[in-house]
Formats: sequence, structure tokens, C-alpha cells
Amino acid sequence: MSYSKEKVDTLLHNGISRRNFLKGLAASGVLSSFPGGLLEANEDLNTKIPYLGEKSYETFRNACPRNCYDTCSIKTFVKDGVMQFIEGAQESTYTRGGCCVKGNSYVKRVYSARRLKYPMLQVGGKGSGQWKRISWDDAMEIIAKKLLEIKKDDGTMLGAALTKYSGNFGITHYGIEGMFNSIGYTTRLAGTPCWPAGIDAQNLDMGNMWCNDPEEMKDSKFIILWGVNPASNSVHSMKYIYEAKKKGAKVVVIDPVFTEMASKSTQYIQIKTGTDGLLALGMQKIIIDAKLHDQKWLDANSKGFKELKEYLDKDIKLDDVSKVTGIPLEMIKELALSFAKAKPATIWMGYGMQRHTNGGSMIRAIDALVAVTGNVGKYAGGARYGHLSTWGFNYAALSMPKPEGSVGYTGPEGAKGEFAQVGGEKAAYTDRFLNINKTARELLNSKDPKVRLLWVACKNPFAQDFDRNQLIRAFKQLDMVVVADQFFNETAKWADIVLPVATQFEENDVNVSYWHYWLSLNEQAIKPIFEVKSDVQIAALLSKHMNKLEKGSCTFPQSVDTKEMTIKEFNPGIYTQFGIKSWEELKNGPVKAKAVIPYADGKFQTPSGKYEFYSEKALELFGSALPKYLEVRKPYDKFRMTSPHSRWSLHSQFQNLEWMEDVHPEPSVYINPDDAKMKMVNEGDTVAVFNKQGLLRLKAKITDNVQPGTVLMYEQWYNNNIYNVNELVDDTSSDMGAFKTGAPGVALHDTFVNFRKI
Amino acid sequence: MKNKIEENALPLSKRLQMSKTLRDIFTSQDSHALKIAFDALKSKMAISEESLESDFNRYFIGPLSPIADPFSSIYLDNLDQVMSKSTLKVRALYETMGFTFPQQNQIPDDHIGIELDAYYQLLYIEEVKNIDYLRELRHYFLHEHLNLWIPLFIERALACNEEPSTAMVYILTQLKSFLIRETNTQGVPA
Repeated sequence: MSYSKEKVDTLLHNGISRRNFLKGLAASGVLSSFPGGLLEANEDLNTKIPYLGEKSYETFRNACPRNCYDTCSIKTFVKDGVMQFIEGAQESTYTRGGCCVKGNSYVKRVYSARRLKYPMLQVGGKGSGQWKRISWDDAMEIIAKKLLEIKKDDGTMLGAALTKYSGNFGITHYGIEGMFNSIGYTTRLAGTPCWPAGIDAQNLDMGNMWCNDPEEMKDSKFIILWGVNPASNSVHSMKYIYEAKKKGAKVVVIDPVFTEMASKSTQYIQIKTGTDGLLALGMQKIIIDAKLHDQKWLDANSKGFKELKEYLDKDIKLDDVSKVTGIPLEMIKELALSFAKAKPATIWMGYGMQRHTNGGSMIRAIDALVAVTGNVGKYAGGARYGHLSTWGFNYAALSMPKPEGSVGYTGPEGAKGEFAQVGGEKAAYTDRFLNINKTARELLNSKDPKVRLLWVACKNPFAQDFDRNQLIRAFKQLDMVVVADQFFNETAKWADIVLPVATQFEENDVNVSYWHYWLSLNEQAIKPIFEVKSDVQIAALLSKHMNKLEKGSCTFPQSVDTKEMTIKEFNPGIYTQFGIKSWEELKNGPVKAKAVIPYADGKFQTPSGKYEFYSEKALELFGSALPKYLEVRKPYDKFRMTSPHSRWSLHSQFQNLEWMEDVHPEPSVYINPDDAKMKMVNEGDTVAVFNKQGLLRLKAKITDNVQPGTVLMYEQWYNNNIYNVNELVDDTSSDMGAFKTGAPGVALHDTFVNFRKI
Repeated sequence: MKNKIEENALPLSKRLQMSKTLRDIFTSQDSHALKIAFDALKSKMAISEESLESDFNRYFIGPLSPIADPFSSIYLDNLDQVMSKSTLKVRALYETMGFTFPQQNQIPDDHIGIELDAYYQLLYIEEVKNIDYLRELRHYFLHEHLNLWIPLFIERALACNEEPSTAMVYILTQLKSFLIRETNTQGVPA
């Protein structure tokens, strides 16, 4: 050996040896002799030997921007410019020092070798797999030319469409919509596949969707977790539930599936899917009959209680309630009476429950149960669903003016989504809105003008949307599909151009939650790796190229600093709500909004100003003023299929990471033992699950956590696996959603399938 | 990038030329630069710029999971990670060799192209400038780092039996024989 391993190891690890070596190196003439390349001579060594030993940690404030209740406040530890690990911020009593299993994998995500690294062009056409690396300038020039061509051909930009949803809920990420605002009137896939029916229901009842602080749950005397599984999907809420339970509160889980949460409850009630509204109405009837309703609160704060009571008296038969819900009547009575007697009592409603053809009506019925017992407007009470009360930012990145002379859509204007609404006066033109829950069909059918360019951001339609075959056709007929993402997925496979996007650790932003009341700054902790860019930087670069080709064609700033962009989002309202003087205070840690009990002042933003059991708006829009029982969709195949969230992923995110793949390597279908026996399926067998929509092949897991007649598959995206549960889902709408979010939701859990062993 | 070498009249020795060519292949950012570097290998293979790059991307770049990721951390630390322990060890080596890396924390220090760049520059000062100060470090770099992972990288890339690319096989074979020659000569000037 012509070297001593020991000697070199010492050089690398011992500061004094290294220093001496570097002194000699400077003297040897090496530095001026290197030919140069990507590595350059460190000229500093000629004058002073800099410190090159072990570096100390720098810390940064971050937040998890995923579509999750918990929106964790994060502290990131960086050494020598490399992210080492993250912690949940200690300053937030909600995050309280810990992230979830997904959050803890963030270092793995940021440094995953699977990340998209460079802008690429699919030269062989969509789906060909022949990719060419292109520079950012080339990518933006190609896109800018296509956009201007559309405008020239059609006279409008309506041929350019954007589909963006919940991949990143950071406030500056509305800059993606801002980018589309800045080029003219465009087409948007609008609405939400997530929670729209429930949003409408709460708005009809209370004029808002505004939940109590989850941290109050520790003082609740009775908690019903109705179709929600925080033990998997909102782990930070669990400590409040546990604390309440420890203090004697009853924690009841009502769910068709025996979930992780159910296993930790005082009582688990297995309900037949889609009958929750009827159970809630039955409980109200029992409570009112026992005179345990809060007449005083109802008199002062509600409208239509009389009509509700008449409806319950006349139409709700308790024997039917028991039969339809599958719950013994005695159990329903005991549940109703004990709930009514406990004060304060609260119900947390999950989003899965409203993904039915009767979803909105079920949320309205459960809201009514909370109201009847006088638990609305009370500390540690409330009909909890979500809130957007801390989202009052400027939406500066979003609010870009249209270029002068822009021509747009002249049809009726609707809501554009649940989060950010652009204010301002009514214009002569609007954007064109297509239903996000029918993306494939809407793209295929678009005309006058036809959609020719689709930009996909913060979303993986092929893993999440419905009807893959139609979606492939829709993508193929487009002139150009641009996919901005962090990983290569099936949506990217059908793109013409993929753009690599920064993680939250590589950009600045600000985050709040739709559940808790904390505000977190997100600081850039590391240099963006490879050639990734943040979404707003991409918008700025596009603007530069559009303006180069046609001056004034794009109003988005042509260069942006994500920090400046973030600062622009703050306003006095946010400062007052959170009790801070400047955004800079957030560098010390997240802060919480000043405590407010929703509706405690008795003021509801409904037409009557009261809680509305009887809603004229509901009658006008959905055909029923009262939260009447609406039967769920009739089966069209042998088994019901539900597709809830997995704890190992968040929609299409996280499951592709190594840690998650280790514990949950492939999708499974969960089958009740009775059904499995009938179909002669054993644990681990590969089965085909199929219906009129499609067919999936996956392994069977046999468990009585699911009821007979129902199979369960998680909605997830697996790397190297085309599994997408939504291939079995048609896009049948839920009953509500169009009122506040622009389009109805999807009745995901009203899917019916059959299965057989392969 | 400094290109002092271009000004230098001395002919490059074969091993120096090969290390430079391999570096240029793995650090190329577009099909034209890749083709020029590939042609310098004198394969006599007729392949278009576009096909060459498409194959190269499929093997080493993406956007789909490449057949063989070109980072040492993948083979030495963790199948799915960049910027890990071995990346930082290479960083420390570069610093001790007197290098700085302007794209540090943007491109992992242990990217094969950057490592070949280091190796080429170390060879250069020995062969062209007759400076031996870093010879021991170069040997250490070869035996204690490059040889630990590049054979695994080559093996993985050559194991691809779905549409194997003749051009990529050629590049990998050249890389393999370069590494073997360097290892066998123990770094003695050719």
C-alpha cells in the first residue's frame, strides 16, 4: 500500500494534524497547480487556514405543510449546510416536541435519491419514458411560448388550466394560483375532493365552519369521535383525549371500522356505513323526549327547533333507527342520555363520513345533536369539523392582477375553493371553473375554447383522482402537460415537462392549521438541492420568459425571494389575532391565536343570525330545510368498499419513502372473516377486487375490524406500483359542497365491488 | 469552471485523459456535452445525441428511478439517500486536499462526476506538475472510497437487462477498466 490508512484517518479527524497538513499544502504549490473543474482550489489556504473541523448545529423554524389536522411546528437541525434531524417545536403546546412517524422521516424525504432533480422534457411523447434534461430557461421558454400561442389562437388564456390541491398548504403556495391569475383568465379545476359536503353543512347550520380549539378537549366531559381516527391521523390531539379520559370523561368512537382510535376508546360502537345521520337524529329524539335538551339555549340561539322536533316526532322511529344503524336500541338510548347529561360534551366529525351521497345531511344531523344539547358555543364543547379562522393572510402571492386587456369567461361565477378566495370587485370576465372531482371528464369535454395546456402542482391526479383510463386519454389529448412535483409519479409519467419542486426546508413560507390555532414560520433551512425551485420562483421565471416574448403578458414579479414573499402575507389582523408585533417574533417559535370560543356570543353568520335547524338556504340549494335523514346510495355490487387514510401516508405523499416502505411495503385489501370464508380467501392470498369501474389485484388481510359486507383499502400512492384505489371509484357526487367550495364532493365511500381469489 | 488545462501545451497521459473524459461524461448537463465526452472515448459507436442522453438519463439521472444512482452514499450508507455519512466523509477529504466546492449542498459531494473531477485534478498535479504532496491522499481516496462503491455502482448498472444500452455498457466498461488499472498500478505514473 502506498498510503497509510491510519495516517489519513487521523488527518481527517484531528484538527491539529489537518491544520498542519493544510499549511504544508499551501506551501507545496498545489493550490495554484490544480487544473480546475467543478472543484476549485481553496485560495483561502494561502493566507489563513480556516476552521474546517466539526461544525455545530444551526436551527431553523419550519412547519409541516401537508394536508393534515396537525400542521406540526418543527425545529430543524442543520450541520454544515446538511439537514440532520427535526424535532416537533417545544413552544407549541399542540405539537409539544414531537412529530408523527411521517414527519420524522422528513430528512429521508428531502435527501431521497428518488427526488426529481432537474427540469426534464419527455422527448418521445407522453408516457414514452424518453427524457431529456433541459435548463430552467429552456423549460420556461417552451411553456411561455405555448401559453402565448393559446392566447393568440383563442383570444383568451382559457385554454390553459391549473389543477392544484393540497400537496402544500403553505400560504405562499397560493402563488401557484397567483401565477395563473397573472397570465389572464384561465381554467381552474375547482372544488375539493376532501371535505366540501361537511363545509356546506356547517355553513348552513352555523354560517361558518369554525371548530373549538382541540386543546380544550382535555376538559370535555364526553367526547364522541365520530368517523374520525386521530390515533392514526391526528396523533397530537390524542393527549387531550387521553387527559379527558383520565379525568373521567367518556370517549366513544362511532365508526364502521374498528380503528386504532376505537381500540383506545371507552366504548366503540360499530355503525352501518352511511347511517350516522339517522343515529344522530334518533339520539336527538331520545334526548328531547327525556327533556334533556337545552331549551334555554335553543330559545335564545336557534331557528327551527320546533320544526325539527315535529320532524323527529313524526318521522323518526327508534326501532327503525336501531335496525338501520345496526346498533341495539338500549345502547343508543344509553349513549344519547349520557351524552345529554354530560356538560360540556363535544363531537368530532371525521371527513370520511361526508364522502357519501348523503354526507352533508349526516354532518347537519350531528351538528343538530350538539346544538340540541346546548353544547354549541361552549368551552370544550362544539360540533368539531375544522376551521379557517386563522387563515386571514394577505394572499399577496395569489392576488396578481390580470394583464391589461385580458379576456375571460362570461358564464356564472362560483366559489373557487375552500381556502383562499380572491376578493375585489366583480369583473366583466372570470376564470372558467371545471369540477376537480371530475377532472378527466371535464378536460375531455372542455370546449370554446378547448383546454390545451394543463399545469399540475401540489397534486398527483393519477394516484388520487378517478378513472385512470379516462385520465390518460384526457392527458394525451392536451398539447402540453406540466407537472411540478418532488417525486416522479404516474402523473409525471404522462407529462411533457416535469419541474422539480423544493421541499418546505428549501424555501420560506408561513403555515396555519385547519384544526388547531397555532401559527408557524417556515424558514429556509438548507440550500435547494440539485436544481429544485419553489413554486413561486417557478412562477417568477415563467413571468420573465413570458414578458421577454411579449411584454406585459404576465404580471407575476419576475424575480422573487421566498422570504420577502412570506413577509408580504402578514397583516395587522394576523398580528392582533396572534398577539405579535412582527412576523420576526415567530423566529422564537410558533404562537397561538388568542382564545375565542366559537359562537359563544350567540352570533351565527346564517341569514337569521342564529343556529339554523331550519335553513331556507338548504331548502333552496339541496331540497331540505331540516337535517332530514337521507338514505345512502344503494349498492350496485356485492360489497361496499371504503378507502380511508392510512397512517403511513398522507394521500399520495410519504408512502414512497424507505421507512414507510419498510413497514408497509404494499397495499392490502382488508376483508371480514365471514366474507373471506365465503369466497375461500385466506390471509395473504392475492385477490382481484373489481367492479364496473376497474380491477385491482392485491393481497388480502383477514380481519373483523371491518364488518361483513365491507372491504377496506387505504388510499395511497406506492412507488413502483400503479395501485390507486380510486380506479374502483366512480365520480358520483356527495349531496353537498357546491355552496361554499364551488363543486360537490365525491361519494368515495359509496363504492361497491366484488372480489375473488386469483 | 476554470479551464487552465486548455492552455496547457503538455499532452495528457492516457490515464489523465481517461479520468477527464469520464468526469466530463458524468458531469455533462445536456446531450451535446455528453456526446462530445462520449466521443472522446473513441467507441466508434454511431448513436445520436438524443438517444445517448435518453439512455444516460434512464441509467443515471431520472426522472424515473435511475438504474444506478451515481452517489457513493447509495452504496455505502443507504439505498435511498443522498447527503449522508459517506457524502460528508468525501467532503472532509476534499477540504483536506485543498478543494472548495462551489455547488456544495446543492450537488452531493459524492456524485461520481465530482469524485472523478477530484481524482483527475489529483492525477494532474502529480503527472503534469510533478507535485507529490497529495499522492497519499489520492491513494487513500482510490482504495478507501472509490473502490468501495464504484464497482457496486457498475455492477448494478450492468445488471440492467431491460433494454440494456450498448453505449452505457461501453461507458461503464471504460470506467471499470480505468478503476482496475488505477488500482493495479497503485497510482504509479504510467
